[in-house]
Amino acid sequence: MMKRLFLLVCLIVFYGVITVPASRYLLDRPVALKLGYTPSSEAIKLVVGDQKLLLAESLVIKVLFYFGSLVEKSMNRVDIPPEYYGMFKTLKTAVMLDPYNQDAYYFAQAAFTWEVGHAEDVNKMLIYGMEYRDWDMLLPFFVGFNAAYFLKDYEMAAIYTRRAAEISGSDLLTNLTARYFYEANHDQMGIAFLKQREENTKDQGMKSLYRLRRESLEAAQALQRSLERFVEKFGHQPEKIDRLVEEGMISHLPDDPYGGEFYLDSHGKVRSTSNFSFTRGADAVQDGQ
Amino acid sequence: MNAIEATGLKKVFRGKKMQRVEALKEVTFSLSKGEVFGFLGPNGAGKSTTIKVLTGQIRASSGEAFLWGQPVSHPSSRQNLGYLPENPSFPDTLTASDYLRFVGKVFSLPQGELQGKITSVLSRLELDTTMKRPIRGFSKGMVQRLGLAQALLADPDLLILDEPMSGLDPLGRALVKDLISELRQKGKTIFFSTHITADVEQVCDRVGIIVGGRLQCVEPVEELLQEGLSGYRIYYRKDGTMCELPAAREDFPREMETLLSQGIEVDRVEPQRRDLETFFLETVERARYEN
Amino acid sequence: MVHTLFVARLTLNALGRDRVLHTLLGVSLVLLCLVPAFSLFSMRQVQELAVTLVLSCHALLLIFLAIFLGSSTLWRDLERRHTSLILGLPLSRSHYLLGRFFGVGLFLLLFSLCYALLAVIAVSVSATFYEADRPVIWMNLLAALGGDLLKAWLLAAVAFLFSTFSTSLFLPLFGTLAIYSAGSASQEVYEYLNSDFSSQISAGVRWLAEIFYWILPNLTLFDLKTQAVYSLPLDIPALIYPFIYGFVYTSLVLWGAEFFLSRRDLV
Ligand SMILES: Nc1ncnc2c1ncn2[C@@H]1O[C@H](COP(=O)(O)OP(=O)(O)OP(=O)(O)O)[C@@H](O)[C@H]1O
Ligand SMILES: [Mg+2]
Repeated sequence: MMKRLFLLVCLIVFYGVITVPASRYLLDRPVALKLGYTPSSEAIKLVVGDQKLLLAESLVIKVLFYFGSLVEKSMNRVDIPPEYYGMFKTLKTAVMLDPYNQDAYYFAQAAFTWEVGHAEDVNKMLIYGMEYRDWDMLLPFFVGFNAAYFLKDYEMAAIYTRRAAEISGSDLLTNLTARYFYEANHDQMGIAFLKQREENTKDQGMKSLYRLRRESLEAAQALQRSLERFVEKFGHQPEKIDRLVEEGMISHLPDDPYGGEFYLDSHGKVRSTSNFSFTRGADAVQDGQ
Repeated sequence: MNAIEATGLKKVFRGKKMQRVEALKEVTFSLSKGEVFGFLGPNGAGKSTTIKVLTGQIRASSGEAFLWGQPVSHPSSRQNLGYLPENPSFPDTLTASDYLRFVGKVFSLPQGELQGKITSVLSRLELDTTMKRPIRGFSKGMVQRLGLAQALLADPDLLILDEPMSGLDPLGRALVKDLISELRQKGKTIFFSTHITADVEQVCDRVGIIVGGRLQCVEPVEELLQEGLSGYRIYYRKDGTMCELPAAREDFPREMETLLSQGIEVDRVEPQRRDLETFFLETVERARYEN
Repeated sequence: MVHTLFVARLTLNALGRDRVLHTLLGVSLVLLCLVPAFSLFSMRQVQELAVTLVLSCHALLLIFLAIFLGSSTLWRDLERRHTSLILGLPLSRSHYLLGRFFGVGLFLLLFSLCYALLAVIAVSVSATFYEADRPVIWMNLLAALGGDLLKAWLLAAVAFLFSTFSTSLFLPLFGTLAIYSAGSASQEVYEYLNSDFSSQISAGVRWLAEIFYWILPNLTLFDLKTQAVYSLPLDIPALIYPFIYGFVYTSLVLWGAEFFLSRRDLV
């Protein structure tokens, strides 16, 4: 009896000793591993039968969740570049399984345009979705915006904003945006879009994603303005970004919500060490692709 | 050292909804080496329960039991025991020889002798032709025989058999009785439960009768039969015809004398006894009446 | 201890003759033969898909076997009173239990080994159809199969535990299934609850979830599929943790099973 009790105590101690570090280890796994591998939609369709919608939803939720945890804990943790790719691919699989899945499209727009610069891919996905969600004015609206803002393809932007206007019936908003696309400067256009989305999105995760992006754009814009004032006054570029504060062009250097620090690049443009992205180095990979 | 030693065994089964079944109320007995003990009792008397306690299948609520001096809770108490449960049931995808091989190994029989022992015990129980067949296809009697075979395989000194004759045809019953007599000759100790008093009469040294979870009596069979002698029946020939004359135990010598003095040829004399069956029925009656 | 081996051998012997299992083995063989054909459905990720299919089939079959055999082995012995014969021998209950468990475990191992062999062939064939960016790392594939095996052992032990105190087959069967799904999800739930996403969830629920997280088996640990499919480097902890964790957890569960079995009346 004593021997058994002793064994039990030993086992419980071992369990405690192993389970805590094991749990730590799992928590610290790269997101790519947490996300797992999703086979192509063709293959999944063969196997899951009538559970396609459920599976699609679970894939989307998975991506949303891991993207969310990425945003929060963000900063230094993430070091494997392909996870954006993995997440986008997972989403793509999800919409292949369930082309009506709203979350997938909205999230792709929120996460993969600015963050990763996949505007073109996102547009393809949105255009695919439009065939199904033909009542949804937001999809063409997104496409129009992406075309104007990221791809500088104003013709395409015009086509899709018109389509958004047709669907929504009341074309006030879309007309407004369409005009913006032509008239406003680049940053204003972005900020306006982000504001609009921030106000109209219910999902907290996506909302914060838009907010973060808007804040960083606004910060950069404010800096850019003060920089322009500096050049006007002194007739030359400041050597360092701190000069803007020293000369009273701006009260303080704004924080980069992505955790980086602002600096001036060799062309005198305001940039941040974070590159306005959670994945340092991700851009480099994309450039290489 | 006694083969079986049971003192004050009690067993209470607790069912659902707080039901209590007192299966054993008081069972105390012991069995010395070389004895053959018949355990009689009506259905539901507690025979199987007693046997399960003795073989460590269930734990007594109170009291203790020993086999060869070892407490029954310990597996080593069964090292020198052959046990046949009631209605044995085997893992039925196996063959008879597979299972017996396993039993032999658990009893640590030497590898070399194992096959020989298996063959001999199977042929003793007339199962040798079915050795290689899965047990699934066995008839009820064949399963019972196999149960006996596995109990006998290691040639243990103590056998506890729960209704060894159940499910057997008359040939099988005779076989088992022969077997028990043979084992008794070899000095083995045997404890078996049964409903059939005739079996006990023929092979047992002692009989115990359990009714309602209480061991009512333990008696030597020989004495019981002696005590039960009520008288004789005398058969004789008179004028070529067969006549019979009943005589009470105390009248018998006188009657005989009279007959012989008349010059009558006595054909045969049969003792008239109250047999075990009557004794059993009386015991059960009395026990039920007392409760 | 030799008694344990005898029981294990008896178990293996009986399982080897079980027709249900023969059917299952046949099914897995057919599935494996279909893998190269199926994997062609993926245009560019032929090899990745083949590995996924192979691993998923393996996990599914193994978990089915573990739950089915784990639940039915002890249960059948108790239900059909095989125990009254087997435990009427000079054999202790713990040896019997361990023997039965090792028998089932060994069967799962043998199944897994055969499967692994065929899987390697199936994946090699598929890999010739389209050259993947990264070649298969066979070690990873084997590690992923091994992870599934460890998981199956753990689940079989859980099923054993349930059948030591249950008189019906439902509890071990569905209890283990429930533990399996809960254990597979627990890590994700835990991470979710530890993120700001879940701020609206009440403290009581969190607390409860936390307790479950530490008590339930964490099956995420055994999942090495992603590394195998993408041929990602496998670090040492990814191999060591499942091994030790699986061993300790399985032992604990078996301890519990022994505890209940030794107190059970075999009627
Ligand atoms: N598991 C159990 N739960 C509740 N009661 C039980 C259990 N097993 C036996 N009993 C009860 O214990 C009593 C004795 O049963 P036992 O099987 O020992 O009888 P038996 O003498 O062997 O009868 P039979 O001649 O019919 O075999 C019976 O009243 C029975 O109902
Ligand atoms: Mg009985």
